[in-house]
Amino acid sequence: MTSPDLQHRVEQFLYREVRMLAEGHYEEWLDLFTEDTRYLMPIRETTATREESERGEEFLPHVDDDKDFMRARVQRLRHRLAHSEQPPSRLRYFITNIEVEETEDGEKNDLDVRCNLLVYQSRLERTEKIFVGRREDLLRPEKNSFLIVSRTVVLDQSLLPRSITIFF
Amino acid sequence: MPDTRMDELIRLDEGLISRRIFFDPEIYRAELENVFSRCWLYLAHESEIPNPGDYTTNYMGEDPVLIWRGMDGEIRAFLNSCRHRGMRVCRTDAGNAHQFACPFHGWTYGNNGELKTVPNFDDGYFGDLCKENWGLYPVSRLSSYGGFIFGNWDASAESLDDYLGNLRWYLDIMIERSIGGIEVIPGQQRYSVDGNWKIASENFVGDSYHLTHSHGSCYGLPVRMLNPANSITFGRNKMTYYDIALDNGHGFTQFILTGERIEVERALAKEMGSEVVEYVEECYARLVNLSQSQADVYALPFGNVFPNFSINDFSALRPIGLYLWTPRGPGQIEVWQWGATDRDAPQAVKDIARIDFARGQATAGIFGPDDTENFEQVTQSTAGAVGQRLDFNYQLNMGGDAVEGFSDVPGHISNYISEENQRRFYQRYANLMDGGQGARHAHEKPRLAANG
Repeated sequence: MTSPDLQHRVEQFLYREVRMLAEGHYEEWLDLFTEDTRYLMPIRETTATREESERGEEFLPHVDDDKDFMRARVQRLRHRLAHSEQPPSRLRYFITNIEVEETEDGEKNDLDVRCNLLVYQSRLERTEKIFVGRREDLLRPEKNSFLIVSRTVVLDQSLLPRSITIFF
Repeated sequence: MPDTRMDELIRLDEGLISRRIFFDPEIYRAELENVFSRCWLYLAHESEIPNPGDYTTNYMGEDPVLIWRGMDGEIRAFLNSCRHRGMRVCRTDAGNAHQFACPFHGWTYGNNGELKTVPNFDDGYFGDLCKENWGLYPVSRLSSYGGFIFGNWDASAESLDDYLGNLRWYLDIMIERSIGGIEVIPGQQRYSVDGNWKIASENFVGDSYHLTHSHGSCYGLPVRMLNPANSITFGRNKMTYYDIALDNGHGFTQFILTGERIEVERALAKEMGSEVVEYVEECYARLVNLSQSQADVYALPFGNVFPNFSINDFSALRPIGLYLWTPRGPGQIEVWQWGATDRDAPQAVKDIARIDFARGQATAGIFGPDDTENFEQVTQSTAGAVGQRLDFNYQLNMGGDAVEGFSDVPGHISNYISEENQRRFYQRYANLMDGGQGARHAHEKPRLAANG
């Protein structure tokens, strides 16, 4: 059973983290990830069973990044010609149903953290898109905070509302 | 309807195209009839449905289709719609099935398309319903080239080979270079774009003009660590590129015709180990066997098969990208995209293919989103009353001489920075839309209009 204190600290960490994304503090956000992190977003398909619809390693992903490529993405977004996010979209992140579970790995005290995610993207004048899904994070306690060892973003949409220019 | 005459809207003698063709709902309806019901459309790759019963789904224009391999091994394609009341019979994206029962009333079809069982056949239809006439409605023509399956609703259409025309010479490069045959990576990326399908197709058919500016944010990135052969590395090499306009509105760009691409490929292969070096030599030898000119071209790199199927193929060390720009009304595209590799590529190449694809011209890649931002804003510009009165400018390198000296290489070769491929894409489009009347043709010495 996760202690109320740990639950509270994880929630506060995640709220701060998505605020960084909403406000575009991407360099600061990158510092929350371990150097060997993996950031994944599988594709979804309409399949006969629920289990199959989350496509795994042998399938084409939407995103499969290491930290170097995450840095490259941020560097690109800062370039004056990255016009798909310049001017920047207005973003709002909502996370709920935060579940914290201690892993078996006793030494590092890593935590399995799941939450639901809804991201609202308003762009230029009339573009309004909503992405919905869940995140599965492996968090590692670090000083008074946490580091993200890995993140899997499972969106519920098999047809995404637009191409992806933001982080989840 | 005189106000939708293609020769008024598409004036290639002046290099001008009315913005109305990207917005007008009446023109869009005509496109579904005259383009999407008469052209060969890409459906799937054979490697996606290798076994009896395997199926996948797609759209031809706005019509949903089911591509299904029968128990006899033959691939067929059908309108994905029950013949009784139209309900979609297959509602999953892909899988294996020996039959589908329509969810509505239970009409059941086998994987050769035949209507097998009808509930209440005896007491409701008195045994008189002629099941042979009520099988799944078949796509009129189905044909494959190098494993790429195309369908056509027009029973009297020319053959796929004739439709592809001299593009086959180039497709053969990609197909023959793949030692074990092309294999599509399972799964596809799908997303919507609030834009017109033609803007996406013409971007691939020959718009090398946009690369420097639209993708300028990518060229300085330190992304070599994943795959030495990524296109950014190519961009740093000083090579002479060409556009090539092909039969029937097809077109590809960024060609190297003098053989340097294999030199770059060899250098990059060294960074990936001896197995990859040997692999590149084998690929090259296969192409030389085809012809030295094809070996010199070596890769496609990007282009469009008319009307809406785009391909990129930069290197044997990188995934092939397949892109379908399916229309959903004049102002929306449903994009489906796949990555593919040579089935016999070294594991080092295969291991990074899916990630390499996702990071480049992809949903969340570093190239795709800046393109779709263009597609959306360009389409929006065609909605206003004043905007609709204006033309887009297709005058780049108009009247420029065709490149000479590559007599073995088919097609109309232009300098790299040209809109000749786009002009020919719209020439073909206008011909189809007007039942052969077509666009106002280019003169011997084209004149540039003073304003657009």
